[in-house]
Amino acid sequence: MNDEMLGIILAGGQGTRLGKLTKGTAKPAVPFGGRYRIIDFTLSNCANSGVNTVGVITQYQPLELNAHIGNGSSWGLDDLNGGVTVLQPYSSSEGEKFFEGTAHAIYQNIEYIDQQNPKYLLVLSGDHIYKMDYDAMLDYHKAKKASLTVGVIPVTKQEAKRFGMMNTDETDRIIEFEEKPEHPKSDKASMGIYIFNWPTLRDYLVKSYATDKSMEDFGKNVIPSYLAHNESVYAYAFKGYWRDVGTIQSLWQANMEFLSPHNRLNIGDNNWRIYSKAQVLPPMFLTETSQVNNSMIVDSCYVAGEVDHSILSQRVSVGMGSRVVDSMVMPGATIGKNVVIDHALVGEEAVIGDDAIVKGTATDIAVVGYDEVVGVEKP
Amino acid sequence: MKRGSVSAIINLVEPWEALEPLTSERPVGMLPFGGRYRLLDFPLSSAINAGIQNVMVTSPRSGRSVSDHLRSGRDWNLDTIRGGLFMYPYNDLKLVAPEKKAKLIHHYYDNSILFLKRSHSEYSVVMSTRNVGNIDLKALLRYHEERDNPVTTVYKSVDPNQLTPKNTILQLTDKGMATAVIPTAKAKLAKTAKKAAKNMDIYLMSTVDLIEILDEANRRGDLISLEELMKQAVIQHNANAFEYTGFQANIHDLPSYFAANMAILEEANFRALFYSSRRIYTKVKNEIPTFFAEGSQFRASLCGTGGYIEGQVDHSVIFRNVLINRGSQIKDSVIMQGTRIGAGTKVENVIIDKNVVIGPNLVLKGTPTEPLVISKGEHIFRQTEVVTSD
Repeated sequence: MNDEMLGIILAGGQGTRLGKLTKGTAKPAVPFGGRYRIIDFTLSNCANSGVNTVGVITQYQPLELNAHIGNGSSWGLDDLNGGVTVLQPYSSSEGEKFFEGTAHAIYQNIEYIDQQNPKYLLVLSGDHIYKMDYDAMLDYHKAKKASLTVGVIPVTKQEAKRFGMMNTDETDRIIEFEEKPEHPKSDKASMGIYIFNWPTLRDYLVKSYATDKSMEDFGKNVIPSYLAHNESVYAYAFKGYWRDVGTIQSLWQANMEFLSPHNRLNIGDNNWRIYSKAQVLPPMFLTETSQVNNSMIVDSCYVAGEVDHSILSQRVSVGMGSRVVDSMVMPGATIGKNVVIDHALVGEEAVIGDDAIVKGTATDIAVVGYDEVVGVEKP
Repeated sequence: MKRGSVSAIINLVEPWEALEPLTSERPVGMLPFGGRYRLLDFPLSSAINAGIQNVMVTSPRSGRSVSDHLRSGRDWNLDTIRGGLFMYPYNDLKLVAPEKKAKLIHHYYDNSILFLKRSHSEYSVVMSTRNVGNIDLKALLRYHEERDNPVTTVYKSVDPNQLTPKNTILQLTDKGMATAVIPTAKAKLAKTAKKAAKNMDIYLMSTVDLIEILDEANRRGDLISLEELMKQAVIQHNANAFEYTGFQANIHDLPSYFAANMAILEEANFRALFYSSRRIYTKVKNEIPTFFAEGSQFRASLCGTGGYIEGQVDHSVIFRNVLINRGSQIKDSVIMQGTRIGAGTKVENVIIDKNVVIGPNLVLKGTPTEPLVISKGEHIFRQTEVVTSD
């Protein structure tokens, strides 16, 4: 490895709060914004930040994610001296390397990290929508001579109750960590993005797993232990657009925000492109009867009906007389004739039969699962 | 088909004059087609879909656009350990200096011979790019293997009224053998004839035979195109004639290029060309989704990704990254990658090349038989700058 910082993306979580959508796939592989999957944002950030060696730790339903990442060439991560490696649990003389928490996942992949021999370890989650320069964060980490830097985002007092909150002194040094506090003392929520000095973190993990095995989770265990041992832990404030899309409601909301040409994410910015798996598909075809407004459509879609304020992913077809409103339709879904899809997330390869109605509300989004068949006889 | 048993030569040295100005800076094979493809993608995809791993592309000049499109061949799965993609530029003698030309006598076909020898292939297929189609080359090989003639040609059965004098047709015997490839004008088709065998410019033969044809041409000191040599081979040996029944469009001048783009707006043609079991590959690009704004109207049209559509589009082929401003009306037109159309501008029967900027409130109008063409990179802001095609 040429670079001093190795990226690790934690992509093993089940994402139970996404319900049907993650029944057969890992959360980072869930489609987003018409032609992306959630992990594309983190992978592209790595590529754009010059983090050229990336390990993606998987565990839960990894097949779709593996197929998506491939050799990493779609992100320019098929580097001669690095590249992306999908890390699966494996068995060894010490037992099987499945993992429980975030820090445990790092510990179970310690051999891979040692192989790369990085000075700094960048730990990322694969389920956030944002554009961030990790190289700038590394500069900050070095300038502060930190042992650990935690990426934080400002949140309201109400939101703070759902996050791990960092309380800092006037130099942004973290003096206290509170998990989901009832009465938050700051507005700095952890984004689940960390830069560690690898030798230090390695010592903590190895010692812990040789003794009480207490270092399961970064938030619950590692950060408090770092603070208790007076390690220099700093907060790095991120000001850009950032969305956690861990729930049906937040996934739908972020997709609807993505539709707006004024979205702060600025997806069209060529200086910070978001890449996705390259696929060759024919162009989209909109028929004489189509009516499309305020919507995003991608390759190989076929639209004969009405699409309003919605996102259609690759290979989606919308039959004549159908109406798709305030919804996001995932790749390969087939929507028949005279169908109503309203306030919904439609899973990959779902089939919606003629005349069916899938209707949610702004606060209760309807979900059609992957391969689910609605309204037609199953063969 | 066993991998490696067939090699392909795709010949980009083709007549380009009738397609100017679209071909003034690119070979015919690099003409954009169908919203995101180049003409070269069709024969190249046919080769890939038949498992062909040795592909040679001959291009007329330096071919920046060709190498930019093909790069390592990765997007066609041609960056393999065995075989791969071989590019040979500088083949158009019209663009070669006289001294160089003198040196080429007896050596004009050397590169092709070398490619064929190194391919260790049993058969070779020679294709051009002026016929848009999606042919099953495995079926062509089976047909060839079952018959005795050393060469197999391909034709599409068409209504003679659709042919132009520049099209070539196969002269077929009663037994369905091809004895010559001739221009329609010289074919003396019976007035009552309902079908004519339009030549598809695809030739299959054993690699040994093809090397012999090229060696022989080198000995004679020929400096003629591969296509001409193939036509001579048909006359010399008689050829098997394989009928292609899928979608095809012949592109030899501006009206036919325009008509071919309009033809794939017919849903049946679009599906036949792009949704068969044989996919069409092209260079992959990482574009964002196309956004259709409130009040836009986009009908009976194709669109690539990365676009921003505010105006009205009817029965048109819109490539990637095109911006169509509010109040503009696009009808029966082809608009290539990166072009921007100003607000309130009306466009009808027009071909607009890549990266053109058309200002607001202009009228651009051609006819179906004489489409107006706007050249690559032009910026047009005044009505007086619009020169009609006549």
